[in-house]
Amino acid sequence: MSQSSSTGSFDVASLVEDVNLRRVGQYALVVFFLGFFLVPLETGIMTAIKTNESVARSLPFAPPVGEGFTLGNIQFALEQLSGSFFNSLVMSIPATIGSVLFGSMAAYGLTMVNWRAQMGVLMLFVVGVFVPYQAVLVPLARFWNNIFPLARMIEPMVASIPFFQGYHAELVPLVITHIAYGIPICTILFRSYYQSLPNSLVEAGKIDGASITKIYRRIILPISKPMFGVVFIYQFTQIYNEFLFAFTLVTGSDAPAAPVTLVLPAIGASTSGIDFGIRMSAAFLAAIPTLILYVAFAEQFAKGLRTEA
Amino acid sequence: MARLTLDDVTKVYTDDGGGDIVAVEEISLDIDDGEFLVLVGPSGCGKSTTLRMMAGLETVTEGELRLEERLLNGVSAQNRDIAMVFQSYALYPHKSVRGNMSFGLEESTDLPDDEIRQRVEETTDMLGISDLLDRKPGQLSGGQQQRVALGRAIVRDPEVFLMDEPLSNLDAKLRAEMRTELQRLQEELGVTTIYVTHDQTEAMTMGDRVAVLDDGELQQVGTPLDCYHRPNNLFVAGFIGEPSMNFFDGSLSGDTFRGDGFDYPLSGATRDQLGGASGLTLGIRPEDVAVGERRAGERTFDAEVVVVEPQGNENTVHLRFADGGEGTQFTATTTGRSRVEAGDRTTVSFPEDAIHLFDGETGDALKNRELPSNRAIDAFVSN
Repeated sequence: MSQSSSTGSFDVASLVEDVNLRRVGQYALVVFFLGFFLVPLETGIMTAIKTNESVARSLPFAPPVGEGFTLGNIQFALEQLSGSFFNSLVMSIPATIGSVLFGSMAAYGLTMVNWRAQMGVLMLFVVGVFVPYQAVLVPLARFWNNIFPLARMIEPMVASIPFFQGYHAELVPLVITHIAYGIPICTILFRSYYQSLPNSLVEAGKIDGASITKIYRRIILPISKPMFGVVFIYQFTQIYNEFLFAFTLVTGSDAPAAPVTLVLPAIGASTSGIDFGIRMSAAFLAAIPTLILYVAFAEQFAKGLRTEA
Repeated sequence: MARLTLDDVTKVYTDDGGGDIVAVEEISLDIDDGEFLVLVGPSGCGKSTTLRMMAGLETVTEGELRLEERLLNGVSAQNRDIAMVFQSYALYPHKSVRGNMSFGLEESTDLPDDEIRQRVEETTDMLGISDLLDRKPGQLSGGQQQRVALGRAIVRDPEVFLMDEPLSNLDAKLRAEMRTELQRLQEELGVTTIYVTHDQTEAMTMGDRVAVLDDGELQQVGTPLDCYHRPNNLFVAGFIGEPSMNFFDGSLSGDTFRGDGFDYPLSGATRDQLGGASGLTLGIRPEDVAVGERRAGERTFDAEVVVVEPQGNENTVHLRFADGGEGTQFTATTTGRSRVEAGDRTTVSFPEDAIHLFDGETGDALKNRELPSNRAIDAFVSN
């Protein structure tokens, strides 16, 4: 007994020695920020699985007890969102692939191929990054509705594709707009990566007899896989979460072609008030595709960030 | 297999300020079918630029580049039928050894897949890397990568090989091995080869001929021994040979060369070759400096040993004239068994048949060393 107490007091002494104000401060800060970021998330999840009554009665972050637990919110939100999920994916997947692929091609052409006036074109791309969304909304709407009503033109064609309805044609102008708007930033991101690649790879390809396009397809494209991971995640998140363009071109949450971001604000809101449980469920469901993407591409993402640095 | 001709080839770059930078100036070379030519010079002398112009990676500003009778100036790198080995190897990191080697054949020929496969395998057999066919470049050692880079060039069976310092990333032992291997391969394949290096050992040992470049200008083209024994000018004399030639600046007064700390009498026959130039540079190779031995009829000088670098087979001895300033150090090589130590006083002599004399202003060689039998060297040099 005496022995154990002596070792115990020894441990305490060393522990006390380690404890200083700086350390305590550090840990306090860590715990604070952990709470700062996690509590809202936890609160959201808890709210999503509580009945309306339970939300009103219990603390926001407390877990539901007994009768207060329900999966009904999630079920309801899923029903409401399923159509717009499809719309969102139909819109954002081609838009992401398009802008990433074109961005990579443009960056290759601007970085690894030599031609005149390259700098001027690159400046245009840089300027393109900084054009504010708000500034183009009205011209954009006029263009797609009055000048070149693409959606109306291709509606019968889209309707004939299985699983698609005529109204999905409205998403096509949106896809094109996103591709055009995404190319500059994707180009800049890829450019920094291509600048770090040795130029001798392209030269070796040339000497091996490959054309500029073949060098891109067979050498540069496979090498830039990690960078594709990074840009793809970034661009998909941007396009999937985007609101302004979708709002301008598809107009309104009740349009059948509305993507998730348009539908989300309307869910759970009615004349009788706001149903927080349904709102939270919908929000989490809407976030799932981006989460899946992060998990699926995590390795590529890490590799890409490493090579970029 | 073909003959490559450069006719007054010039490369001018324009810098950001709009000024012109001449990288290569009016180089004319005639590289014979099957010849191994080494382009050698210090870094920044334009040798890589010259090679890149041959490859089609740089445009030719002026002059003509021909492969046999075909003008190459406007032909893109893709259509030149030239293979190149890069200093960094430039292997495609995502392709296996097989993929790296077959890429060129797939892109530049219409050969069927199984023939490409067969040619790749033959080449890897020749290079002793057949067991690496399915590995990626990242899994190979430096020497193996080097072989793959070489194989990628060989497998295409091109008209011309261009090599840009291909051995500079290898360690000393491997480099010596690859040097002989490369020579053997080149002889076996008989492909015209242009090899760029800054390493004068590679230049001396590998090439049929050596082209020495400095400051974008061709200084001399000749066999290695020709450049060694009969340098055109001061630059070639100093660049070829290791340790490099000793130079003494001085002037001719009467029948004597007066340098800093020593006077060297010149015979009438030698003086006749100088053609009235008064500012002179006297050059002598370290192995021709006779240390500690007295020869009849030779003028000897007292000298002090500053440093001795023993290399086993021979010693490199750094000396200073006893009555000269600090600036008059020179080197001599002696056999490894001779015993000289730092601080020793000794005598040295410069045999007159071994000295070179250069014009002090232009650096042109006025008199080169005499060789025991000029005819024998001529025969050796010219073949």
